[in-house]
Amino acid sequence: MIRSLLTRTLAVTGLVLTTAAPAFAADKVTFLLDWLPAGDKAAVYVAQAKGLFAAEGLEVTIQSGRGSSDVVTKLGTGAGDMGTGGLAALLQARAESKVPVKAIASLYTIEPDAIFTTEGSGINSLKDIAGKKIATATFSSSNVVWPLLLQANGIDPAKVELLKVDPGALAPMLASGKVDATINWVTVAPGFEGPMNEVKKKLKVISWSDYGFTGYGLSVFASEKFLAERPDVARRTLKAFLAGNQMAIADPKLAGASVKASVGDIDAAVADKQFAASIPLMDNAIAKKDGAGAFEKALLAKTWEWTAKSQNMPIEKLDPETAVDRSFLPK
Amino acid sequence: MSPRLSRTLVQLNRFAPALTFIALLLLWEGSCRFFAIPSFLLPSPSAIVTAGANIEWTLWLGHIWATLRVAAMGFVLAVVVSIPLAIALANSRFLSRTLYPILIIVQSTPVVAVAPIIVTTLGAADLPRVLITFMIAFFPIVVSTVTGLLATPEELIELSRSLKAGRAREVLHIRLPFALPYIFSALKIATTLSVVGAVVAEFVAAERGLGFFIMFSTSFFKVPQAFAGLIVLVALSLAMFRLCVIVQRKFAPWSLPKSER
Repeated sequence: MIRSLLTRTLAVTGLVLTTAAPAFAADKVTFLLDWLPAGDKAAVYVAQAKGLFAAEGLEVTIQSGRGSSDVVTKLGTGAGDMGTGGLAALLQARAESKVPVKAIASLYTIEPDAIFTTEGSGINSLKDIAGKKIATATFSSSNVVWPLLLQANGIDPAKVELLKVDPGALAPMLASGKVDATINWVTVAPGFEGPMNEVKKKLKVISWSDYGFTGYGLSVFASEKFLAERPDVARRTLKAFLAGNQMAIADPKLAGASVKASVGDIDAAVADKQFAASIPLMDNAIAKKDGAGAFEKALLAKTWEWTAKSQNMPIEKLDPETAVDRSFLPK
Repeated sequence: MSPRLSRTLVQLNRFAPALTFIALLLLWEGSCRFFAIPSFLLPSPSAIVTAGANIEWTLWLGHIWATLRVAAMGFVLAVVVSIPLAIALANSRFLSRTLYPILIIVQSTPVVAVAPIIVTTLGAADLPRVLITFMIAFFPIVVSTVTGLLATPEELIELSRSLKAGRAREVLHIRLPFALPYIFSALKIATTLSVVGAVVAEFVAAERGLGFFIMFSTSFFKVPQAFAGLIVLVALSLAMFRLCVIVQRKFAPWSLPKSER
């Protein structure tokens, strides 16, 4: 009787351990987005929804950040393992405080910043912005480069009236004509459609990259602690993430559905368009030449040059090569 | 005045608050339609209701629960810490001299400004959110409770001392019951403040909750949807306030003014 009970107990314990084993084996990773969930953040959701993380033995928790600097700070303090953010924010942080975070892959090889205006506003190029009133999000990373971009194009920054407002106010202000233009990432354009359609106006996007603003934009960051202590987990996470990104680039319709699977509130149709708007920033001649995720030496140096100049920092203050680690990219 | 007219006037008076509210809604709806105000500037009540109805109820429940949970935990923590703290402050001049200035400093600190630092330090789980809620909600409870405890009539205290009642008994059976009206007033303020605290925390770091929902909606420039979230948030605040009133009426009716018992 006792023997039979013991056998049964052992059998049940064995069964529990066997079935529970994969759950225990999964490596936990906290992935931080640079902003709220949206279509242009789809890569990580595609990797999640399509089981790419699970296939790599990972259990990934996605958290939304409140800007690139927020992600850098949280990764630096250990509140997250990996995340996305504008490379300029990381370079600036490393130059200022040696924050223990590195960029391990590039995503945008073309800068996403742009001027949004309306057809018929009289703004057809960057030069037309002089004397106009424009709005930008208070904590946008674009604000840092803005005066430098104007100067580089022979425009006096003092001649442009710049209003700093909440990001949620930008489209309403442009649609209602309270400002002549706004500063946004091109990926946000589909979200402007609702307010624009309501007042029967047409959005016009002028990319800064057409006016000499070159460098790496959105990139994948990781905390140095995570890279040092769990390099294999970091490698697998990046592999699955980049695979998710490639899947979405090949089929942008995956973006909306994948984000929707995790974030029920999202409008999948708008999210599809947002991801589609980000494709030219990732799938372009630069990425094809250097390979997906690469940091090419000259373009990396250019990114730091723009950041240093806009922050009034000496170029020597940081060797941008120390801010990146290329060894985690899939071979 | 005829009895019929008199009855009608009584009825009108009875429903005056509801009628004023309905009139205001109609005026709002009418203005939006008449002046063709775009929904991203001021959505009409009907647009807000439609936007709210388009969200699946399971999503609503998820957001409401997330906010309610943090607000309730922050509120309970505020009560559990504030009342014993208030008793200590009321009983010790030394503690009052040393702790009170610190409490005022904490209260004067704009929590909205320090919230990102709290989240960065404590991570993005429940703890920082509850702490932020606590920081916003605790002060009125401490101040009102201390005031209530010290407002007990001296004759009662002297009587209890002459009957050799101990210090603990004096606080538990005389000062605290006397302070109850003050405490409940503070609790009512703290319920609404705890909802504000939960929303502040969600603005800084969250994946769920009504504060997150409002922020998320505005990030897609869906203003009617954000307004729907706001209305649910107000309803949640009112419900928590109401619950506090019910608890007071049920368990401590003597602490209410005679007209409200």
